[in-house]
Amino acid sequence: MIGRFFLKMAAATWQAAPRGPTNVLAKAGGGVHVPPHERFVLDNGVTLLIVPRRDVPLVAFNAVLRGGSLGDQPAKPGVASLLAGLLEKGAGKRDAFAFADAVEGVGGSFAAGANAESISVRGQFLARDQQLMLELLADALLRPRFEAEELETLRARHIDMIKAAKDADPSELIGLYGRSFVFRGHPYGSPVIGSESSLAAITQQDVLDYYAANFGADRLTLVFAGDVDSSWLRRMVGKHFGRWKKARTPEPQLVAATRVRGREVLLVDSPGAVQTHFWIGNVGVDRRYRQRAALDLVNTLYGGRFTSIINTELRIKSGLSYGARSGFARGTVAGEFAIHSFAETENTEKALDMTLQTLGGLKRDGVTGDMLESARAYVLGQYPLNFETAADWAGALGEVELFGLGPEYIDNYGSELRRVTLQDTRQVIDEAFPAPEALAIVLVGDAARIREQVRRYGAVSEMTLTQPAFDPRERVVSSA
Amino acid sequence: MRNLFTSFFRHLASPRSSGVALESAVPGRESVRATTLGNGMRIIVWPVHDIPNVALYNWVRAGSRNEAPGITGLAHFFEHMMFNGTSRRQPGEFDRLMEAQGGANNAFTSDDVTVYQDWFPRGALEVVFDLEADRIANLAFVREVVESERGVVTSERRLRVDDNNPGFLGEQVQAAAFVAHPYRFPTIGWPSDIEAWRLSDLQNFFKTYYAPNNLTLVLAGDLVPERVFDLARKYFEPIPRQTAPQPVRAREPDQLDERVVVVHRKAQTPLLQYAYKAPAAADSRAAAVNLLLSILVDGDASRLHRSLVEDQRAAIEVSGHWQEGFDPGLLWLYLTLPEGADPTHTRALLDAELGAVARNGVTAAELSRAKNLTSAGFWKKLATIDGKAQLLGEFEIFHGDWSKLFDAPGQFEKVTREDILAVAREILDPKRRTVGVLLPELET
Repeated sequence: MIGRFFLKMAAATWQAAPRGPTNVLAKAGGGVHVPPHERFVLDNGVTLLIVPRRDVPLVAFNAVLRGGSLGDQPAKPGVASLLAGLLEKGAGKRDAFAFADAVEGVGGSFAAGANAESISVRGQFLARDQQLMLELLADALLRPRFEAEELETLRARHIDMIKAAKDADPSELIGLYGRSFVFRGHPYGSPVIGSESSLAAITQQDVLDYYAANFGADRLTLVFAGDVDSSWLRRMVGKHFGRWKKARTPEPQLVAATRVRGREVLLVDSPGAVQTHFWIGNVGVDRRYRQRAALDLVNTLYGGRFTSIINTELRIKSGLSYGARSGFARGTVAGEFAIHSFAETENTEKALDMTLQTLGGLKRDGVTGDMLESARAYVLGQYPLNFETAADWAGALGEVELFGLGPEYIDNYGSELRRVTLQDTRQVIDEAFPAPEALAIVLVGDAARIREQVRRYGAVSEMTLTQPAFDPRERVVSSA
Repeated sequence: MRNLFTSFFRHLASPRSSGVALESAVPGRESVRATTLGNGMRIIVWPVHDIPNVALYNWVRAGSRNEAPGITGLAHFFEHMMFNGTSRRQPGEFDRLMEAQGGANNAFTSDDVTVYQDWFPRGALEVVFDLEADRIANLAFVREVVESERGVVTSERRLRVDDNNPGFLGEQVQAAAFVAHPYRFPTIGWPSDIEAWRLSDLQNFFKTYYAPNNLTLVLAGDLVPERVFDLARKYFEPIPRQTAPQPVRAREPDQLDERVVVVHRKAQTPLLQYAYKAPAAADSRAAAVNLLLSILVDGDASRLHRSLVEDQRAAIEVSGHWQEGFDPGLLWLYLTLPEGADPTHTRALLDAELGAVARNGVTAAELSRAKNLTSAGFWKKLATIDGKAQLLGEFEIFHGDWSKLFDAPGQFEKVTREDILAVAREILDPKRRTVGVLLPELET
């Protein structure tokens, strides 16, 4: 079954991209209000949010531990991600199979993963199984086993998964190359999932050290949404998590990355590839960016929907590509603005030129009143679809807490969208969108066929797709 | 199109990755309304007022199954052309108007159907009906637009097949698995066919398959059914009925022995795919087939994941898919192997596991887990208006009646271990499978 628009690309670039901010909140809007909920802070620092919704007998949870891959040693990215995967590979009295069987046996779900700024564990159970749910969650967070054999199996799998992704679709990975290139020396540049070479170097001790330093009550936010009895749940959370100690180290702090000046090109060689994927980006804006509503509207117009400026040029008008998208990742500090698309190898230059022209056009001409109204209707019209289920609310509120934002971040979004003026759009175009002269450009394609052409875009660094890292500084000398 | 990496990236992605089992009574049967227009078009409406939005699915009974050599990929090409203008509207206007009303859309094509999806605020209902009916009544066939869209589809093919090892192998396996039935055609189309369609091919296909009597429109969301029916009568009923499409008469002859396809490609990780001949969607054993597949590959506690991925480390990922179509199709198993692994070794382990299931069946715990997981997936879908519209359509199209949706949990509950054993024996027969192996190409 194949679909019309490459929605997966959006997912690969902005969501599956193993970096913090998901785009759930980016789409919150007017008319959506955070449902009535309770918020408690336990004596040891655990933050607990309870969102009762009794329409279906389900409970969704989202446990967010602040830290994420910020807690990785710079030389060994991937520890937080591997650790997250191991949380469900044996904990408390259950080995890996018994744990999976306990979850799946009752039709529950339980999945842990790392982002740049947090590790989160998410899942959903029948309301009648919430005692089991709490027990499993507490075991995974407080009593993970981190057995050497499980670690070895998962580590080997993660390495081969990256290799398999390279064999299948560069869309899955191009953001990792892009962020490594833009955020050199900054934690946002580290691949959260690690690289083949960094994963190979990770030891059991690395995982234990990370856990000792970064896991603890003061780092944890628990969100439960669904068919819950609030007072019972509060008691049970106290019982399971009330005696947990604080994390041994303070939370890692972030400083803002500096923007790329001028143009730089990273060419990732995939010999024989019939099309070139490209990722064009620079440092954007952070989660508290005051013009976030205008930002979302302008990005919607530039690269956030089917009729966006770049999809119109690259797909609708020219037929050069199956799709083109842009977006902002906004963390505690500014993440990236990036454009991603792809075109047949021989059209690499044409597609790149077209993309840069659209960016220049946006910077020069801005957007029109009609465009602004269309984007406003679009973002407002789509927003409620992001807040349909208890699991949606557990996810959104966990993110609000992670960034210290408060429910008004969701509640006020609609009125902010309605107030955006053309002047506001001009401001965000000036502030947040990079100039076409200041960009990092990452290309994954057949270097032998495009190397000469891409020199005109800036100084070219080169690496191969099979090189076991996403960082161009770990260059290998190719035979070319 | 399936994605072998879903589970790896799953935890980093969508918040909608969870779901859960419930009791088997499905609410909503009484509120669903359906009607058939004078021209034969079916309209089904499920009013749900949780959010002020609507999900619309327009099901077209046309997929790559309805194609012929020389025009493969045509059904999918329409999935693109349906957005490219009518005699009333310029190319691109469909999307511009919909988005300006707060709506978004998408579409997908399979071996059996082409489906158009819109998600929009309730106030946009009439605009959406106007747009949807216009492209059925007045689709334009402009040469320059067709040529540009060929480029888009070729780009899509490069992405999904030519530069994509799992996609490339799957296409070869599917082509080898069928000798008579059009299920052998890749939905995206063979490259030479994508280059060669003529305008007359497009016009003939459209007239036949995009006739109102070949469409089923399903809506779920903040709606009043009578209002929807009024709009359907206003916008769709004037479109004339056409002669019903010729049925697909081809019946795949029995497969006599295992077929093996080996391809060498630039790769770091070898791939292994098994495609077993399997029943059609409407088969009475459908629930048992789904549960068998779930027992084999769903979750970390599943048979094949536990054995091949965790215990033996002979694969890094195992997944599966039953192509539930109008005609008997394929039940797929997809394995990604570690770098340097010997596919012969993995095959031997896989064969041993599958042989054991076909010989001895499954345990009560395995069946119970699969029922709970399947039920959880069902309820997770039903939690959204999008899922409701999709499920209603699937039951109407592939099972002949939307109301069977409300009996689905009961169908799963009834399945016994004996039922699982029976479908396992029938389906997991090595003689009725096509095996695909993708190996890293030899250094020259």
